[in-house]
Amino acid sequence: MSDFGLGRMSAPAYGACVALLTALGLGVAAWAHPALLHSSLQIMGLEAVPRAAASSFYAVRVAPLFETRCAGCHGDTRAKGQLRLDSFAAVMRGGKDGAVIVRGNAKASELFHRISLPPGDDKAMPPSGKAPLTADEVTVIKLWIAAGASGEGRSVKGAPKPVLEVKIPERDPAAVQKQRAPLAAFVTQLQARFPGVIAYEARDSAGLEVDASLKGTTFGDADLVALTPLKARITRADLSGTSITDASAPALAAMTSLERLRLARTKVTDKTVEAMAGLKALKSVSVVDTKVSDAALAPLRQRGVVVYGGGNGP
Amino acid sequence: MAPEPNNGPVTEHVLVWDIPTRIFHWTIVVLVAVSWFSADQGFMRVHLWSGLTLLALLLFRVLWGLFGSTTARFVDFLHPPRKVVAYLRGHEKVLYAGHNPAGGWMAAVMIGVLLAQALTGLFSNDGLHFTGPLALWVSEDVSTRITSLHGTIFNIILVLIWLHVVAVGFYLLVKNRNLVGAMFTGKKHSRHVPAGLNLSFTRLYIALLLLGLTCGIAAWVFFQGVP
Repeated sequence: MSDFGLGRMSAPAYGACVALLTALGLGVAAWAHPALLHSSLQIMGLEAVPRAAASSFYAVRVAPLFETRCAGCHGDTRAKGQLRLDSFAAVMRGGKDGAVIVRGNAKASELFHRISLPPGDDKAMPPSGKAPLTADEVTVIKLWIAAGASGEGRSVKGAPKPVLEVKIPERDPAAVQKQRAPLAAFVTQLQARFPGVIAYEARDSAGLEVDASLKGTTFGDADLVALTPLKARITRADLSGTSITDASAPALAAMTSLERLRLARTKVTDKTVEAMAGLKALKSVSVVDTKVSDAALAPLRQRGVVVYGGGNGP
Repeated sequence: MAPEPNNGPVTEHVLVWDIPTRIFHWTIVVLVAVSWFSADQGFMRVHLWSGLTLLALLLFRVLWGLFGSTTARFVDFLHPPRKVVAYLRGHEKVLYAGHNPAGGWMAAVMIGVLLAQALTGLFSNDGLHFTGPLALWVSEDVSTRITSLHGTIFNIILVLIWLHVVAVGFYLLVKNRNLVGAMFTGKKHSRHVPAGLNLSFTRLYIALLLLGLTCGIAAWVFFQGVP
């Protein structure tokens, strides 16, 4: 091979050739990858970005499907086949082989073709290893495409009703233990002192329930004061039928997490109820068969606390 | 590991690029193309092997840049930015046996970016059945982010390749110097190299030892991903 080039060309001429070849290359890339072309035009503002209305059938029924079942491989961090399904514009833009939606024609739409393939097929979507779409989900997408793949229409005739998905959050035992840890020793101690009175409100909670009703009059003011170390964690307290009096008002007022309180058949008066004014978490209180007046209960009722007893129950 | 001086007779053509550098260059070209094609078509096994081979070669090139022949060494072709600017402006009329100041940085950047691509590939996953050999060393979220980076770096590589081709074409068509030929034969015309050139060429067995080392590293990486 010669040490010398193919012949002299001027730098400007060479620059022009490079510019032309670069433009040609970009043109070929745009032709070969229409999704890339549309994306670039939209970014430059030369093409309108298709958008879906928030209340449209697409936004309510189709987009959530794409988000949960497809965006893992066709989203912003990964776009297999250069196809993204994480926005209406991206869905309509298509992937490296062009548009995947043919408006009004589900059968001609590559996207519908792929989700309709039997699970064992190499080209089926989602691919093997991922849970296939349900029949209803496939129908929703099919009907949406057949109805014009619109980003505006609010309903599609014949679409299956949405199934309400209830997600039960997973428990994290380690996290619960961590929450309980600061007072765990006190809880154990007081449970031993007052058997059957103190318990955690749930397996995944550090909140505590106090139920002294079965203790009857053997449970009094001094016993409630003994629960002071747990004051911030007590969410429910059933002190019905115990011998507590207004002397327990400060102890009750300190239970800042208290949501439900039962003081039925106790010797508390308006003084105890007035002390509960600062319990912002309180949702219900029972003062059945006590000397508490309606006037003392009025502020609680006004802020939405459900009150039982006092002559004017709910 | 001391290189040997080129004390051969004066000829019209002068050897400037050693065999390891030339083989490295053209093998990288093939492997980048294979990596691109295999990723595009979903041939992930092929992609893994081409990626690991690239890793071994790039690590070799870094070592060769420290211990190799004169023109292969980083100290020979990495010049201060001021010198690069002066060269590009045509202010200096100095001849270079190996890379010129601009080409030197081009080579270094290309090696760096390709190495980054190979390394990110090790931690990537395709969201389905394929993961890089070191993907399990990181969380799935981190692996996904690195996969995204792997995709971005590929676009940078395409731009660098284009710049490289444009630059080489400039020398070929405007400056009348055939750099492509030189990277095949290893030789430049004596008119295009400094007078009184005294290049040293590291022995081939050193190159083979270094390549063996980097292949061993790549093999170790591969086996991290074998269950």
